[in-house]
Amino acid sequence: MQIIPLFVAIPLGAAFFIPMVGRKNPRLSDTLANITTLALFLMALSVIGKATQVYWMGGWVPRLGIPVGINLVLDGVSIFMLVTITLISFLVTIYSIHYMDKFTSKARFYSLFLLMVAGMNGVALTGDLFNLYVFLEITSIASYALVAFGGQHEELEASFKYVVLGCVASTLVLLGIAITYAMTGSLNMAQVSTIIGGNFKPIHLFTMALFISGFGLKAALVPFHAWLPDAHPSAPAPISAMLSGVVIKTIGIYALVRVMLNVFGMTPLTSYILLVLGTISMVVGVLLCMGQDDIKRFLAYSSISQIGYIVLGFGLGTRLGIAAALFHLINHAVFKSLLFLNSGAVEYATGTRDFSKLGGLKDKMPVTTTTAVIGSMSIAGVPPLSGFWSKLFIIVACVQAERYGFAAWAAGVSVLTLAAYLRMLKRTFYGQPGEAQPAAREVPMSMKLSMVALAALCVVMGMLWMPHAQRTFLIPAARVLQEGLTYASSVLGM
Amino acid sequence: MHYALCLALFLVGLYGVMVKRNLIKIVISLVILESAVNMFIIMIGYRKDGIAPIMSKMMDPEVFASRSVDPIPQALVLTAIVIGLGVTAMTVALAMRLYEKYGTYDIKEIRNLKG
Amino acid sequence: MLELMGLLLIFMIIAAIVAIETRDLLAAVISVTAVGFGSVIAFFYMRAPDVAIVPIVVEVLILVILIRATLRVGLKTFVGNRDFFGMMVTIAMLLVIFLAGIRVFNDLPAFGEPVMAKMMDAPSRIYLANGLNDTGAANIVTAVLLDYRAYDTLGEATVLFTSIIGAIAIIRKKARKKPSEPEVEEWTV
Repeated sequence: MQIIPLFVAIPLGAAFFIPMVGRKNPRLSDTLANITTLALFLMALSVIGKATQVYWMGGWVPRLGIPVGINLVLDGVSIFMLVTITLISFLVTIYSIHYMDKFTSKARFYSLFLLMVAGMNGVALTGDLFNLYVFLEITSIASYALVAFGGQHEELEASFKYVVLGCVASTLVLLGIAITYAMTGSLNMAQVSTIIGGNFKPIHLFTMALFISGFGLKAALVPFHAWLPDAHPSAPAPISAMLSGVVIKTIGIYALVRVMLNVFGMTPLTSYILLVLGTISMVVGVLLCMGQDDIKRFLAYSSISQIGYIVLGFGLGTRLGIAAALFHLINHAVFKSLLFLNSGAVEYATGTRDFSKLGGLKDKMPVTTTTAVIGSMSIAGVPPLSGFWSKLFIIVACVQAERYGFAAWAAGVSVLTLAAYLRMLKRTFYGQPGEAQPAAREVPMSMKLSMVALAALCVVMGMLWMPHAQRTFLIPAARVLQEGLTYASSVLGM
Repeated sequence: MHYALCLALFLVGLYGVMVKRNLIKIVISLVILESAVNMFIIMIGYRKDGIAPIMSKMMDPEVFASRSVDPIPQALVLTAIVIGLGVTAMTVALAMRLYEKYGTYDIKEIRNLKG
Repeated sequence: MLELMGLLLIFMIIAAIVAIETRDLLAAVISVTAVGFGSVIAFFYMRAPDVAIVPIVVEVLILVILIRATLRVGLKTFVGNRDFFGMMVTIAMLLVIFLAGIRVFNDLPAFGEPVMAKMMDAPSRIYLANGLNDTGAANIVTAVLLDYRAYDTLGEATVLFTSIIGAIAIIRKKARKKPSEPEVEEWTV
């Protein structure tokens, strides 16, 4: 039994099935959704450390080295992304059990949620450019609908903005894929990379520009970030956690890096573009986040800043830089989902997200407060939490690559992040009790459970840099990206 | 020349998305963007004086292979058109819900969120 | 033939500009459908009959959806764009993209000479040569769509499913409730 296609097939099947059986019985849809995401997570754990496997859909194996069908590739990076996606989606579905009681049509919520997960798993696995676009659209459409799930003014408006920019991004990507096809006659990433093979013409630069702006829009890198601070806060908290935690990383950064490094091959110019885009996002994101009064908008801007770190690491193009970027990617997925879930808990308990009405929640909501402190300290890079290690290694990688300026920016932004998060903690959990404080109560069990699990992960995740975990998990992923064009030979088996 | 015209059509759509205030106009611009890309993909596969990629009994397979237009772009566009329809339907649903809430399609009057 | 394609494209561009610039929303909706039908004719000319049929249906659907959206009692028409400065920046940016695009499009194979004619190991060659034997479909586009690249078609069906579920979720009348409250399903529109 091949496991690779199941990563897409299982959530897809569950997404078709849940609205049929779960309409009248919300608890049944809770159970089914949680079983599905748990199964996916266990499957992702079971493939860690496996060698590269290629699965040809429909049995269309290549003929004379020419790919005829669509392939799914399970290599180091795909495994890494699958673990990240399924881990966060599993913890988020647990959280949704009680949180989503405040909304109607829970079955449709889970259906859209699982479609989003299926789309992201597909993006992480596919080895075909057009198939990548199709999965990109599945993920995006599901997330547009989920952002509008609350049905209120701001939510609809944010979702519309997101749809418009998301659509433009998808068309830019599709145009890029079309030009790539026109140049190479193939859609298979491995074959395209053997044909282009680092030999750059002006048209390839134009295509790269299309991909960078398309995927950059999806990832909300700074000149393209306008939709994110509206869309992420407007969604229900579990979806905010998914969007900031994994969606922008999978359909934005992962897709961009895969296309850039494995298909086109990194050049000094593209590397420099990534470094600059990353640094701008890092700095602008943190500066904008300092002035926010809404806890979820605050977290959304902070996501832009952290995405900057990840792109900076990838832009270095060295083994250490890429490994550190991947490390920060999974760490950010964990602590940013945790913080969004905390903000959801605060909103669930008090009905507001405004700093001016919050404050002094620490006695009423001890679990939420403790986990939020751990998450904030981790994102701010306080040792020995996970965020400290990944930021440290990004800075070390910058120094090692002799990019001292970028290293200084990364260190400076880290200090600003700490200041911003201390202010957020003070105004929400400590400080003077706000007007919303008296009515607040600790949130239900399932919400607490997933927050505690994520906080625990924040503490232990630094261990991923220990030699054994590094060798089986991080380094295989970094190697696939760093060795760039050898991707083709490992997929086509030449 | 033909590709440049297609790019122009694409940019007209992009202009509409970026400049217009009316939600329906923005949706229309998105539809134009999609048509432009679909057009471009089909143009890539066109072969001068080619034939449609449908085999007939009378035709020699080798002649067919040397004269037919490229089938892949056509398959891609069929998929892309349907995806475009799905996105458009959802965008219009959103626009109509927004109209219900605000009583207008004007993006300037629909401004609860700041950039 | 090639000239005709050029004329069709120019017609589509004009229709697109009309659709974007006209004051009347209904006229705009009809013009955008003209763009769509322009592409239908172009697809027929470019020997893509399968592709030409689909947009006929799709364009009609889009027309219906959009007209439904424009039929509003007391719909205010308003002209004007976002601010003037932003518009100038946009136009300048688009112009740059256009000039860059024209320059680099010289690298593309000329119109009418698809890349598979030169590229010996293009998958299209395999499809054209072996499509009938492999799949039993005389129509190679069908062979690609439903057999070689059937996974894309599955994805396409999923996209439709997603957008339907999504649209239903969006048009719910009541989206929030108290945790203990039972739910009633009602839709606007």
